[in-house]
Parts: sequence; structure tokens; C-alpha cells
Amino acid sequence: MNRYPRWPIHLALIMASFVMLVPFYWVAKTSVSGENIYAYPPSIIPTRVQPFFYVDVWYAIPFARYFLNSLAVSVIAVIANVIFNAMAGYALTHGFRGKNVVLMLFLSCMMVPFQATIIPAYLITGKLGLLDSWLGLALPQCSTIICIFIFKASFDAVPRSLIDAARIDGLPEWRIIWHIMMPLSTAAIATNVILAFIWSWNNFLWPLIMTRSADMQTLPLGLARFLSYQEDTTGALYAFCIMVLAPGLLLFLLAQKEFIRGLTSGATKG
Amino acid sequence: MLKHRTRQTLLLWCFLAPSLAIFLLYRVMPVVWNFVLSFQYWSPLKPAEFAGFDHYEDLWYDDVFWQALWNTLLVIASAPIGIALALGLALLVNAEIRCRDVYRTIIFLSYPLMTVAVAIIWRWMFDERVGLINYVARSLHLVDKPIPFLNSFTWALPSVIAANIWQMLGFYMIILLTGLQSIPHELHEAAAIDGASSWRRLRSITLPLLRPSIFLAFVVGMLNSITSFDLVYVMTGGGPGRATEILVTYIYKLGFVQTKFDEAAAVTIVFFVLLIVTAWAANRLAGGNAGAAEIE
Amino acid sequence: MKRRSIMKGALAGAAALAAPAYLRAQSSKKLSVLTWNIADQEELFKKEFAEFKAANPGVEIEWLDKKGPDLPAFYQTQIVAGTPPDVVDIQGALWVDYAANGGLVDLTPYLQKEPDVAKRFNQDYLGGWVYQGKTYLLPFYVAKTLLYYNKTMYRDADIAQPPQSFDELIAFSNKMAKGEKTGFLTLNFDWLYWPLFKMNGVELLSPDGKKAAFNTPQMADALGKLAKATADGGINKIAWTGRWVEPNGAFASGTVGMLHAHSASYFFVKGQGPWINEQTLGATQLPGFWSTPTNHGFAISKGSRNPDLAWSFLKHMTSDKSAGNLFRERRVLTANIEADKAGLEAIEKTDPLAGAVLRTQTEHTDKLTGNWPLPYDAELKDAFWPEIQNAVLGRKEPKKAMADAERAVDRILRRKA
Repeated sequence: MNRYPRWPIHLALIMASFVMLVPFYWVAKTSVSGENIYAYPPSIIPTRVQPFFYVDVWYAIPFARYFLNSLAVSVIAVIANVIFNAMAGYALTHGFRGKNVVLMLFLSCMMVPFQATIIPAYLITGKLGLLDSWLGLALPQCSTIICIFIFKASFDAVPRSLIDAARIDGLPEWRIIWHIMMPLSTAAIATNVILAFIWSWNNFLWPLIMTRSADMQTLPLGLARFLSYQEDTTGALYAFCIMVLAPGLLLFLLAQKEFIRGLTSGATKG
Repeated sequence: MLKHRTRQTLLLWCFLAPSLAIFLLYRVMPVVWNFVLSFQYWSPLKPAEFAGFDHYEDLWYDDVFWQALWNTLLVIASAPIGIALALGLALLVNAEIRCRDVYRTIIFLSYPLMTVAVAIIWRWMFDERVGLINYVARSLHLVDKPIPFLNSFTWALPSVIAANIWQMLGFYMIILLTGLQSIPHELHEAAAIDGASSWRRLRSITLPLLRPSIFLAFVVGMLNSITSFDLVYVMTGGGPGRATEILVTYIYKLGFVQTKFDEAAAVTIVFFVLLIVTAWAANRLAGGNAGAAEIE
Repeated sequence: MKRRSIMKGALAGAAALAAPAYLRAQSSKKLSVLTWNIADQEELFKKEFAEFKAANPGVEIEWLDKKGPDLPAFYQTQIVAGTPPDVVDIQGALWVDYAANGGLVDLTPYLQKEPDVAKRFNQDYLGGWVYQGKTYLLPFYVAKTLLYYNKTMYRDADIAQPPQSFDELIAFSNKMAKGEKTGFLTLNFDWLYWPLFKMNGVELLSPDGKKAAFNTPQMADALGKLAKATADGGINKIAWTGRWVEPNGAFASGTVGMLHAHSASYFFVKGQGPWINEQTLGATQLPGFWSTPTNHGFAISKGSRNPDLAWSFLKHMTSDKSAGNLFRERRVLTANIEADKAGLEAIEKTDPLAGAVLRTQTEHTDKLTGNWPLPYDAELKDAFWPEIQNAVLGRKEPKKAMADAERAVDRILRRKA
């Protein structure tokens, strides 16, 4: 057991936490007080606290419907991501002809800004007949290269002895993935789930371009309602941002347990 | 033997197929569209005419393009700072201390927050007259005149980069943590038994095994120059002047504000080539194969 | 066996998820309307759409609303895909780009057949929608700039009345600047700052629109004064670097003496600033009575399948009744003469301050500036504005900044010729 003083670690982490929390505190503070952030001097304690901005948000936009749309799209994206990315990550841990080409292709696919792909992506989705639908909304995000590489990095760390033993036992490849690699990579799965969810949940530009009917809009599109030329938008705006933040955060808290489980049970097997 | 090998290769391609299909549709084809478009004169309401290298020539003489390119390079170069900070945080959070989960959650909190909210709050924090940073600096008598962060041509881009690092720290940390936690405990224990100090273990065991994750974090950091579009656009709009204009905001402005999609396509292709070259160089530095050893 | 049924189930599920909602309901005639950031009028519009549907049975109206920065991206994607909304509400000079490229229906023949429609509107505002002799839009609502001033700060600085000249504007700004307080702010999107230069006799382009005309001693002089006032604190730097919320928010916090903004700002500022009432806020014209309009108009997309139906819709939404409703609900000027007259009379009784703000919108409509029917307006703005910023923020000498701007603008004009 290593003996080293814990308190410097705590100190460093507390300082880091403070820096991370300060802007966040301001978002939360303004969401309950609605004060003008351009007043000077800035007040640390919120004045005129009231929770009605959250109520405003609920009624100002069809919150429940937008929430449902966002949820459906994100669930599709997360499930697809975990399955497709694990498969691709596993394939990339092997050597095969054309592997480097595929690797470079994957890397280069990331290098194109979404803004430059809007029009062709829209036309392609139209040709597929998927405009204004959950699947169409989720499709571009059903696999992400960063997450493929996360799986690859995690699979790369699995000891070869385990895989060789399984092969000798005659296990088919997909079984290897499912029964050996995945349980050892719960951290990677958790990361995949969190990231895929956040990217899909917060995505603004694609649903904006892609949806026309009012009942297919996703939650971030409701943002426009609070950034408009209106009186008193600031409190509602931040309340809205907190409400959009909540599910992602919740998911992170839940998935955190997987992190810990991966740490304690994973690598000591074998 | 041969049949098994071919069958296995086929199987591997099947595993790659779904992801490849999605990238083909939503990344490769749009790049091709942009590539073709960059050699044409086109607007949404008129048919296309061949333009040769005209757009690229225009870019060569375009001051804004060069400024945006320079700013983009600065953004890319700032990625290691965020990664180093996140690595430190990841190592700290990975240690055996109490309340580890709490720290981890707090540090990650910034990432799921909508970028618009991040941009508005940081814009306010950097404000010259009423912003929090200036308020604190002046209350503590660190400066006597307020610092014009977002109004200054020299401080605007660093301010935006600082806000970006704040937002991305949690994300980098997660990637590095995932890597850290796939390093088997036994290696550390064995080394500790052998009498290696924490520092030595860090250098010889942790960092090398963390290489794929660090490479990944760097790629993500590079892509910040793309994904920070919302942050830059809402925080400064590319200003003052062109001080925070990056290639991706320029692409958006050319395409959707000035309706010059063909010029935007040319900038896109140049940007694409720039990123590919940087990624390739990073891959070489990481030892090829995205930083990991190969299974046969 | 099992796998096949899973596949079937998955395919069926995918199909269900994929069917686009707006194709499921078919109707005989559909009109899609895209508006610019006016979702707060949902109730009013639903009523007016119902009235239109009653008068035109069998018509379905699809209403889309997008925020300013998002609307062009959305609209242009729809154009490329071949499904543009029939009616689109456009702000500022974006329409000229679409009109010049043949994207909008020319409304002149319709107006010639029905001259009464044209007569509804204030002719200066209607004239703002003309390009190369053709009218492309009907006025929906207008908001032009005015000068708001903080009467309390005026009193504290011993200023008796609003400035009557550019030099007075600068002098008053400097007088009110003390500590955290600054004297003057302006909005800067869409050429809103242009009256500051117009009142000094500066023109942007030559009359034929082929050459830059702003590189003059008057311009350098005005820029120099603005730069000095900004450096001294008289003019708040947010004027040059802020978008919409920051300048309005700063004025609402009560620390800025004057705000040059359009009438829409009034309601935002009032909501954010509890100190605002008749005694503390004044509304007046800028020296020289120049103002920049940010107007909204209805246009018909060329790709529309029902242009005549769209024209009826335009007439309905800009009728005296509808315009009157809009004025009353949103308290904005509509450029419809009858509606504005009635609306102003009503509001001056119930909310004199708002009434004073809105009355400035009907005055001096012959002195509108900063509104040029140029298809490459966005490009020009992008080339010109950063140089203005360079000059007023002290990064470049005004003469050099204007020389650089002139070069950039001339290059754009040459290529378009």
C-alpha cells in the first residue's frame, strides 16, 4: 500500500473544482434570480430568488414533446454507437490488408467541419427518405470516430493471452467481443454512452436544418425561444440551459458507477 | 489455414461496415461535394460553371483567410495545454482518495452544458467593465485599470481559448481516465513491490501505456478548431476585427451569410488538408497505429 | 430463425421511425410560411391563419419560425433541396441577394393589378423593398433607430437637452463618463451605426454603386473623434464589439447615458431595467434626424408552387386589420398607415413612454440611411466593419483603416461588375 500524504491531492482538486464551478454557479444563480448580468458590481448572492423561470420554460415551449424527441434520438444514437463502435474498434486491433487505409480514412473523416457538410447531408438524408424523423436525426451520429478509438485503446490493453486462449477454445469472434473484451472495457462503454448521449442531446445545427414539423423539434431548438427579442429572457434562458443539462449529468452520475466497477473487477481477471 | 484467414478478414470488414457506411454517407461524400464545388461557380439558384483554381487563387490573396488560418493554428497549438491540465487532473482523480466521484463529477460538469450558455457566461466574465474577472482582479488590487479581454486585439483569442479549455477539461479528463483505468493494477503493484517510486512508475508504466489515449486527446484537441464554432461565434463573432476569426467561422460566414458556398468549399478543402497533415504528423509521433501495439 | 425475426422487427421499427411527419398528412393546398424570430406571437398568428383558412377552404398552413442567425442557413438548405417555404419573412438586406439571384417572386405585377394594396403602406418603407425597379417584398413591420437617453444621468451631468449635432453627441458622452458610467452606446449589426457617419456627410458608395466613396477627410475626422471618445471612456467599447444583448443589457443597468438602437430595444431594456419610466428615459431622434431601419418584409419564394395563394396570404397578413393586431400585440410599427395611426393613438394614452418611442418611427422616414439594395451587402459589411473596429478601437489610424477598407470594398465591387 502506498503511503503518501493525501491532503495535497485534495487541495489541488479543490482548487480545480472551484475554477470549474464558478461560471457554473453564475448560470445556476441567474436561473433562479433572472437578474441582469450586466449590472455592476456583480452580486455573489442572488437577489429576488424565485423558481418560476423553470415553470416559464415548461410552458413557453412544448417541453415534454421536445424532451421526448431528444430522448428518442439520443437513445438510438447511444445504442448504435456502442454496438457499431465496439465492432469497429475490435476490428482495428487486428492487422489486415488495408488497415492503415481504413485508419487514415477514419481519422480524416473527423477533419471536416459540420458546417461544411450541412447541405450534402441534408440532400442525402432526403434521398434516404429520412427527413423530419427520429432515425434521420440520429443517423449522422450513430458512430463517432473518437469513440471507436476509445474502444480500440481499451481493447488494445487486454492481455493477448486471454484472446489467444479463447481462440484456441474455438470461440467465434463476436463471442470474443461480447464475453471477453466488453466486460473488461466497462470504462470504455461508459465513456461511449456518456459522450454519444451528450453529442446527440446537445446537437443544435442538424435538427435545426433537418426538422420542419413542430412536433419533431428537439430540446436545444427550444433555445431560440429564449434568445429572442423579448423582455426578461435571461432567467428563463439559464433555467432552460440547466434543464437541458440535467439528463446528461444524470447519465454521467449513473455511468460513473460503471467506471468504478471496471476498475475493481476488470483487469484483475485472468 | 488460408480459408480461415480470409474468413476472418471478411468478418473484420463486416465489423467495420456499419461505421464505414455512416462515415461514407455523412463525411466522405460531403467532402467530395465540397471538393467538386471548390472548382465551380455555384449558388443555390443557378447552375454550376467550371471555375478552375479561381477560388483557391482568391484565397491566396484574401487577408481574412490568412488571419483565420493563423488563428486556427494558434487554437490547435493550445490543445496540449488543456491536455496537460487534464492529465494532471485525471491522475489526481484516479488516486485512492475519498470523494473521488465528487471531484470527477464537478470537473466534468462543464462539458454537458450547452455551448451557448458557456459562451454567454464567459463573455460576461471577461467583460471589461462589469465582468467577474476584472471585478476580482481590481478588488484584490492586482491591476488598476480594467483589462480589455474581448475588446482587445491581443487578448481576445487567448480569452476564447481559455473558455474553450474550461469547457473541454472534463472531456479530456474522461478520455484519459478511460485509458488510465485500463492499465492493469498488477503492473503498478509489481513495480511498487520492486521499489519503484511513484514518479518512476508514472514515467515508465503509466505514460507509455497511456499513449493511445493521449494521442486521442490530442486529436480531439485539434478538432477543437472545428467544434469550437459555437463558442467563438456566440462569444465574439470572430471579432474584434478578425482577431478571433477561425477557419470554421469563416466557412460558415462565407457559406450561409454571404451565400458564397463555392468559396466556402475551397476554404473547407484547405482546412481539411491542414488537419489531415497535422493528424498524420501526430500519428507518426505517437509511433504509428494511433499509438498502440498491434495484435496479429 | 430468431435472427430473421429480429431483422424483420428492426426493419419495421426503422420504417416507423423514418416516415416523415409532414408527409403523413396530405391536403390539397399547403402554404408554408417561414418567419424571422416572432414565435412570441403564436396566438395572434394562429387566429389570423384560421381567418385565412376560413376564407380559403382546403388550405393548410405550415408555420416555421427561426431565429435570425439560423434562418439563412435553414432557408438556403431548403432552396437547394427544392422545398423552399412559400412565404418567407426577411430582415435587413438579405433579400437583395436572393432577389438578384432570381430566388424571389417579383411582386410588381401583383401590385399593379391591385394598387390599393400599395397605397396601404408608408411609401418610404415600401420603397425600401425595391431592387432594380421591381418590388419584391411587402412591409411586415419596421424598427428604425432612435436615441434613448438616461434623463437621470443627464441631470447629474447638467445636460439640458439631447444633442443637436455630432460634436455635441461626443461632448455629452464625455461629460457623462465617470467611473463605471459611460456616455454612449450604439448597436452595430446591419449598418445600424451608419447614421453616425451619415450625419457627417459621408457616403458609403458612389451614386452608381461602383466605387467606394467613404475614404474622405470627414470620415477620418469622425472616426478620429469616435476613437478618442472610446479611448477616453465616453463611448462604451461594447458599442463596437457587442452584439444585441450586451449593449441593451448595459444600458438597462443604468450606467450608460445614451443608447442608439432601434425601437425593438425598448421592450428588452424596459424588462431588464426596473428604473425605466417616463421621468428617467427619453426617446428622440439622432442629430440630423438620420436613422437606419431594420425592417421585416414578406416575400414569396420562386420555388413556391402556389404563388397566387401566397400573394393572397401576404395581402391578408398586411391588411389594416392584421397590421393593427400586430401593432397592438407586439407594439411595433407596421408601415401600414391606418394601423399605425390607430395604434399610436391608442398606445400614447395607455403607455406614453412606449408611445413616444414608437412615434419616432413615423417621423423623418425620408431620412433613412444604411439600407442599400445591394446583393453583396453581407460581403461589403464583412469587409467594411472590421476596419471600422480597427479605427475606433485604436488599432489603426483612421486614415489607414479607411484606405484598407476602400481597397477591400473596391475589390468586391470590381468583381461584381
